[in-house]
Amino acid sequence: MATNLFSWIKQNLFGQISCQRCIELLELITDGEASLEEEQQFRKHIDECLPCYETFNLEKSIKEMLQTKLEKKQVPDDLIQSIKKKIRNTA
Amino acid sequence: MPAEKLKQNYSSQEKEHIFEHEFLPHIDSMYNFAYRLTFDEDDAKDLVQETYLKAFRFLNSFQQGTNAKAWLFRILKNSFINDFRKKSKQPPKVDYQEVETFYNSDNVDVSMTTDLRVETVQHMIGDEVSNALNALAVDFRTVIILCDLEGFTYEEMSKILDIPIGTVRSRLHRARNLLKEKLQAYAKSMGYNK
Ligand SMILES: [Zn+2]
Repeated sequence: MATNLFSWIKQNLFGQISCQRCIELLELITDGEASLEEEQQFRKHIDECLPCYETFNLEKSIKEMLQTKLEKKQVPDDLIQSIKKKIRNTA
Repeated sequence: MPAEKLKQNYSSQEKEHIFEHEFLPHIDSMYNFAYRLTFDEDDAKDLVQETYLKAFRFLNSFQQGTNAKAWLFRILKNSFINDFRKKSKQPPKVDYQEVETFYNSDNVDVSMTTDLRVETVQHMIGDEVSNALNALAVDFRTVIILCDLEGFTYEEMSKILDIPIGTVRSRLHRARNLLKEKLQAYAKSMGYNK
């Protein structure tokens, strides 16, 4: 209870969040789903907390890796034609 | 305006226009999604074709100018579950019991179970990433594809998958942890770490 009160005061009076809160926000931040206030609290925290900063970098690098390194499959040449043909036949 | 006004009544010219300009531009993403679900080029092709035929058939329930991509992905995912999943050999269905309660609990697990490092991740090549992702059960694989590869929002994912946003978040969280485990195991086997 005492620690809860303490973190409540820190968060609400000084805008400081705990590491636990920071980790909870991590995915919201990387996915662009956090509110402006959450984003500000988060940035402030990782400016001062190295472990959370590193965790954030890992999360980001995995997302980037997925976006840049996975090979894209080429759509088969005849697929669009075949779809259009089927639609023309049913119309 | 009554909210129940759902059915449109497009002329065949309008239909053709919507199909050409709002649906077909997504065929690249659709095909890649289908391939990552089925792991088979022919199945992916069939799945995409079936999705587009359904989309055309039900075009009157699509509102022009709204999110065509999410609408198409939803049809594709449903077609996959109903028609394809049965015949393809997928990993056994995941038990969500533990997963879905994640965000309802006050005690979020803060501890990082992985000692995966950023440099390790940055050195991974496409095939390694692909293998790690493909090793995930289809429901976990799906949320990562939708969120990280296709950039859908939680709300869009919730509509595509017919699950609440809280479930989207918990499933995504679990999927990412599993992916980290796979990547970590791979890194270890290659002697990347230490
Ligand atoms: Zn911290």
